[in-house]
Amino acid sequence: MHHVVLESWSRQNSALHARDPRVKIVLLAAYLAALGTAARMPALTTLCYAAPLAAAAGMARLPARALLLRTAVVLPFSATFAAFSMMAGDAGRGEALLAKSYLSAAAVLVVTATTPLPKLLWGFEALGFPRFLILVVQFLYRYLFVISGQAQHMRLAARCRGSASGRLGFRRAAGAIAVLFARSYARAEGIHDAMLARGAAGQIRLLAGARAGGRDFAFLAFGIAVIAAVRIWSL
Amino acid sequence: MHIPDGFLSGPVWLGLDALSVPAVGYVARLAQRDFEENHVPLLGVMGAFVFAAQMINFPVGAGTSAHLVGGALLAVLLGPAAASVVMTAILVIQAFVFQDGGVLALGANVANMALAGVLAGYLPYHLLGGGRLRKPAIFLGGALSVLASAALALAELSASRVAIPKGMLALSAGLFAINAVAEGAITVAVVSGIEALSPRLAPRRRAARDWAPGMLAATAMLLATVGALFASATPDAIENLTRPGGSAADWFERAAGVVIVFAACVLIARAFSRRRAA
Repeated sequence: MHHVVLESWSRQNSALHARDPRVKIVLLAAYLAALGTAARMPALTTLCYAAPLAAAAGMARLPARALLLRTAVVLPFSATFAAFSMMAGDAGRGEALLAKSYLSAAAVLVVTATTPLPKLLWGFEALGFPRFLILVVQFLYRYLFVISGQAQHMRLAARCRGSASGRLGFRRAAGAIAVLFARSYARAEGIHDAMLARGAAGQIRLLAGARAGGRDFAFLAFGIAVIAAVRIWSL
Repeated sequence: MHIPDGFLSGPVWLGLDALSVPAVGYVARLAQRDFEENHVPLLGVMGAFVFAAQMINFPVGAGTSAHLVGGALLAVLLGPAAASVVMTAILVIQAFVFQDGGVLALGANVANMALAGVLAGYLPYHLLGGGRLRKPAIFLGGALSVLASAALALAELSASRVAIPKGMLALSAGLFAINAVAEGAITVAVVSGIEALSPRLAPRRRAARDWAPGMLAATAMLLATVGALFASATPDAIENLTRPGGSAADWFERAAGVVIVFAACVLIARAFSRRRAA
């Protein structure tokens, strides 16, 4: 599965991997906001916005081709709307839609490819996002592959038993989801029991943690300066 | 329909982020009251379940297939507050891990699918789910949740002056209607399946005691959805609103309109959850 790639990328070592997750989140927000408020994206502006991302990806030694390809998942959606804009005679707007959506997705990917998800979630919690939601996200991610694997097995088993279409196929798919639900529920109860057995006292701790040092503050200041410079230049 | 970054104009994404963050914080607190921290694994696993369930295809005729969206199903099974939290968690994972939907646009996507979608999916069940009309209510909830999310997404895109040809708008309105019927049918079929498999997992609602506020909220939701669909299908009336250019005051008005609609949704949700807690 392709998201496993993200796991292996995010667990390497580089100057960017080592930065405090909070710093990366703040810089990501600043970058996205700068891009989100830009009106037009002529080629030169696009290049100026792409340059810091390319530098960051290079600094983290991320594989450029794989990164560019993975980001391309946003293109079908934005290309459709870009085509609408061009049909309406507004080519600049279509260009902006394509460039902004692609660069935004690339920026998010650079951050998630250099920060393991538990650390990233810790950063969000430290920045004041609701803890309960963060915990749910963390558990969701932890069991995503387990339950998806189960669903894939069920799909394969159903195909082995022969395909059904129409009303029967519909009812069978619904039955599969009902079984998946019951199994997921039982699994959740089992996890909860195991937690109680290990002495969980009702408080779940997020294991990751970080301490912002001088380098983190320097990186933050530098990043903000670069983003501000690009934004002001492209006004 | 996950809106990527770069599509929504500044006022729209900023307004919806400013609205969704406190709304999600509030809903998370409500869910925490029903499900103490001990039950976090349940909500997380339910999110993974919806992710996985979306991989299972339903034949809907003419060789095409649909898949579950899940907001209404979760609302029926876990209650609206928990369902909103789980849907938000799903959107967060989709945006950060799968590049599906933008991060600045997360506020908009959360408002469309995790707040309005779940609320629209829950209202009919809340009102009628106790009696003989249980199945029609669940069906209506599934359909309304898809319609509400889609109509809001289209409204946000046109408020951001993203050009959509009229023919495309009519076509997508039709496609959304088909998807809505499919989602309703899937939700009913899955709830029936769960009832047959293990009845304790499918809680039965008692009939709502007080009809007036719920009825009002449902009507408002229905009107908003149908209104937005009509406005999208026949954009002459809103052409004025979405014309290129426009002063700062125009921008402010457009953003204010969107914010007011969502504020109303959140207030209704608050009233409901208070009723539930009481």
